[in-house]
Amino acid sequence: MSQPALTIIAPGQAAGRRRRLLEIAGAAAIAATYIFLVLTQPADIANGPASFSALVALGGFLLGAVLLIAAVLPALPTSTVVLIPVALVLNVVLGQLMGSTGLPFYIDAIGTVLIAVLAGPAAGAATGALCSIVWSFFNPTVLPFAAGAALIGFLAGMAARGGLFRRFYLAPVAGFVTGILAGVVSAPIAAFVFGGTSGLGTGAIVSAFRAMGDTLLAAITKQALISDPMDKAIVFTIAALLAYALPRRTTFQFPFVRRYRVLAGKAPAAPDA
Amino acid sequence: MTAATRTALQIRIEAFTFHGDDAPVLRDAALSVTPGSLTAVLGGSGSGKSTLGKLLAGWLRAGHAGQFRGSLELGGTVLEFRGVPEDPRINPAEWSRRVAFVPQDAAAMLSSVRATVAEELAFGLENRATAREDMLRAVERTAARTGLSHLLDRDPATLSGGELRRLAVGCAVIAEPDVLILDEPLASLDAVGAAQVEALVRGLCGAGTGVVLLSQAADRLAGEATRWTVLDAQTAHDGRTVTAAGTVTAAGTPAQLAGSAELERAGVIGIGGPGGIGPNILGSGVAAGARRSGPVPAAVPGPGPASLELRGVGFGYAGDPRRHGTGAQDRVLRDVDFAVRPGEIIAVTGPNGAGKSTLLRHFNGLLRPSAGDVLVCGRSIAGVPVGKVAASVGLLFQHPRDQLFERTVLREAAFGLRQLSGKAGAEGKARAALAAVGLAGTEAAHPAELSASRQRLLALATVLAREPAVLALDEPTVGLDRHGLEALQGAVDRAAARGAAVVMVTHDLDYARRNAHRVLELSGGSLREI
Amino acid sequence: MTPRLHPFTTLTLAVCAAVVTTAAAYWPLSVAVALAAVILAARHGIAGRVLTAGAVILTPLCLSLLVLHGLFFPEGQTVLAQWGPARVTAEGLGFALELGTRTTACVLVFLLFSFTVSVPDLVSALAGRRIPPQFGFVLASTLTLLPAVAGRLDRIRQAQETRGMVGGRGLLSRLGTLRLQMVPLVLALIDDAGSRAQALDARGFGSPGPRTSYREVADPPAQRLFRAAALVFAAAAVAGRIMASWPAGAAS
Repeated sequence: MSQPALTIIAPGQAAGRRRRLLEIAGAAAIAATYIFLVLTQPADIANGPASFSALVALGGFLLGAVLLIAAVLPALPTSTVVLIPVALVLNVVLGQLMGSTGLPFYIDAIGTVLIAVLAGPAAGAATGALCSIVWSFFNPTVLPFAAGAALIGFLAGMAARGGLFRRFYLAPVAGFVTGILAGVVSAPIAAFVFGGTSGLGTGAIVSAFRAMGDTLLAAITKQALISDPMDKAIVFTIAALLAYALPRRTTFQFPFVRRYRVLAGKAPAAPDA
Repeated sequence: MTAATRTALQIRIEAFTFHGDDAPVLRDAALSVTPGSLTAVLGGSGSGKSTLGKLLAGWLRAGHAGQFRGSLELGGTVLEFRGVPEDPRINPAEWSRRVAFVPQDAAAMLSSVRATVAEELAFGLENRATAREDMLRAVERTAARTGLSHLLDRDPATLSGGELRRLAVGCAVIAEPDVLILDEPLASLDAVGAAQVEALVRGLCGAGTGVVLLSQAADRLAGEATRWTVLDAQTAHDGRTVTAAGTVTAAGTPAQLAGSAELERAGVIGIGGPGGIGPNILGSGVAAGARRSGPVPAAVPGPGPASLELRGVGFGYAGDPRRHGTGAQDRVLRDVDFAVRPGEIIAVTGPNGAGKSTLLRHFNGLLRPSAGDVLVCGRSIAGVPVGKVAASVGLLFQHPRDQLFERTVLREAAFGLRQLSGKAGAEGKARAALAAVGLAGTEAAHPAELSASRQRLLALATVLAREPAVLALDEPTVGLDRHGLEALQGAVDRAAARGAAVVMVTHDLDYARRNAHRVLELSGGSLREI
Repeated sequence: MTPRLHPFTTLTLAVCAAVVTTAAAYWPLSVAVALAAVILAARHGIAGRVLTAGAVILTPLCLSLLVLHGLFFPEGQTVLAQWGPARVTAEGLGFALELGTRTTACVLVFLLFSFTVSVPDLVSALAGRRIPPQFGFVLASTLTLLPAVAGRLDRIRQAQETRGMVGGRGLLSRLGTLRLQMVPLVLALIDDAGSRAQALDARGFGSPGPRTSYREVADPPAQRLFRAAALVFAAAAVAGRIMASWPAGAAS
């Protein structure tokens, strides 16, 4: 019986190609679904609920999210995998804590953004999508938003890689931009699957646009453009605050933080191995 | 997987530095393990014992967790590390199959995703694609070995501390490792639990496993070791911060090292116990924990009312929806009468689960009595919010990490003092409190980067800085090394001399007898003097 | 007690029920599915939990739908009442009813699934189907973490109150208090996760390759057949809806 080796060689590129293809397919599924929905949205929803659009939105976005998870998850190191449940719990618990302050935002992505900042865009995207899927055990209405959550995690990771968390005032800016994109992508789900939003406050904003004669998708997209960027700016700010409150040994254990110098401050004395 | 491949494990550390740290945590250390032997690594809190153990077992890997210069040798394979990207990469699964590690916090060993003890034991085998029949046999064998056979269908989350520790050992030994590394295997176990773990370790050694014991106490189990290695944090001030790197300061047989200056400097606690190698393993004066020159200073009864008084306090968790089945008949506290005068030190002992912590939580209103009244400095605290009572009652919890939240040690100690004593006064008081517990010089460090012992002392300093009239300490000795115990004792004595009433809850009767004016036992919900 | 269903059987049933309900877009069917879910929940003795969780999710959603479409539905023709810009139209109310019942049915069906499924069985079944083991880990670990975190947050709050932290009334002081609660929580969770990762790697969790399962979950052939049939039925429903609606969709 041959003994497995005590050492391993650095992972090669061969397995990477299949994963890259899956990633692209996932992103393409989400993008194609969005474009298809916007182009074919029923002009007159009075003919009945947008059942066709709902099925397309659900199918396309979920397929995209599942492809992304299948591409990213097996490649994630264990140290990142164990953070995904933590992110989920933080999303829920910190969201509830923030809710107790009475701010009119949902603030439900702090954990996802924090993990994205520490472990990178791929981990962020997987975290966002997985959080939606697992949390749908308790609240099935979050399941359709998996693609949007993945986008938030991905963009947060890209912002961290680009150094936007090094300057404190840039984090909310990155959040603002992320909010715009995520809000626009998630709007068809809210419009076609749920026919509106889950909050009375956001519902009132949608109502106002509807009263001006907008289509449902347009009204919900505009509402998302009003509330989401602000919401995500706050989320990014809180995630940055938390990342800087952590001791350096904790943040620097993540290769992503070391490699892209995500957080401001002195580089570690030891060269990166 | 046969005994034929069994060989010794060896490590030589030039330096190991965590990513993000400026200075190494371990330097100039070496250790070798031979099959079937018990080796003890002794050192105080923060000496790098756990880091050494995790390096040996592949839990901390060169390049992955930090920069490592040195070498590792296992089963004839020698790996040299120079701290460069071309260094060999350890395969953690395969390395750990042969060198297993059980962390101090046994719960950290568990996968947290398995529903029963049997499945938790099998988790490592599942990941190695072991055939199901082999798994069933291995689980049965390991359960019998670790005394878990009757618990196989239990949810791991419901196990007691001792059972959990044995499960963690079981998870480690189910793959039949050549070397087993145990980090503080007896910490926070009661006598029965400790004896079971000790017997398990003896059995493993007898079966040919090389066992490494990492401990800050030269206890009975360490006394059975063939070799001791003393690890000590050598501190260095570089102006702003204090850096400490663990270094081997002595190595030899227990007989050679018992009572040595190195062992004492390292902060190792000696515990004399029946069947051990005598009560004075570390030389005279160092017995259960810390030395005390002379008796406890006599209490000076202060003027006025008692600092803390409980009048007929009764309490049960019946109203708490999270605890079902506790009726009026099994109240945690019933009719407790109890008073502490200024300057008095009182210890409360009792078996696990007797309600000692519950009693302590009544002092500042975290729990409200269902009968009777609690008076602080003569005034009832009924209806007063906890945050307000905190000005007169300082309470130290068991888990310091829950209490610390600031960015630096100084800010931590000064937190909330501004309202009490102004900006300038706050910093002075904070520095004085830090000095009182021996933490002067660490002001700029992040609280989370202190050693466990120092985190507890910092939590104590945050309480002391407010100069409360009542100081309540929950198991203050747990996790402290000898330096920490001495600092604790000094701080408590000074607080009492200043006129504070001190109540400490501890399971350590010896410590209670030596350090308190009165010892009370809580059992069956009521207090009696012993 | 009915013989235990394989987790995939109940999952397939829930998914198919939700898909068919969505595809049908017929509110009497949605109401029937929702009622069926409640009756099944009652038979499992969990009607209370399912309805409570459902109410928390659905009440704001349905109210929002009612206000939004009930009062503002520019496409509506049959005006029932009008106050200023707000018009109550029959079409708007119908739309709200249609979507409200559909969402209610889907939510209740999924809650019924998640409250009845045995998570260890589900994780074991997932591991047996070449689903990455990481997925099962995330699912099961979250469920163990949630109560633990609630307990830890409680302890942090107690410890901080004990240190004299009195929550202020202003938004800023409340945010400050919040930050102080979050930091130890996040730090402890990330640290614990770090050591759990080391333990999992040591126990072979991170290595690639096949796995076996200690827990055995029975999967009788009858259930496999039933799942296949349910999936075909749901696919047919979706296909039917797409065929019926495609021209309408593409024409716009």
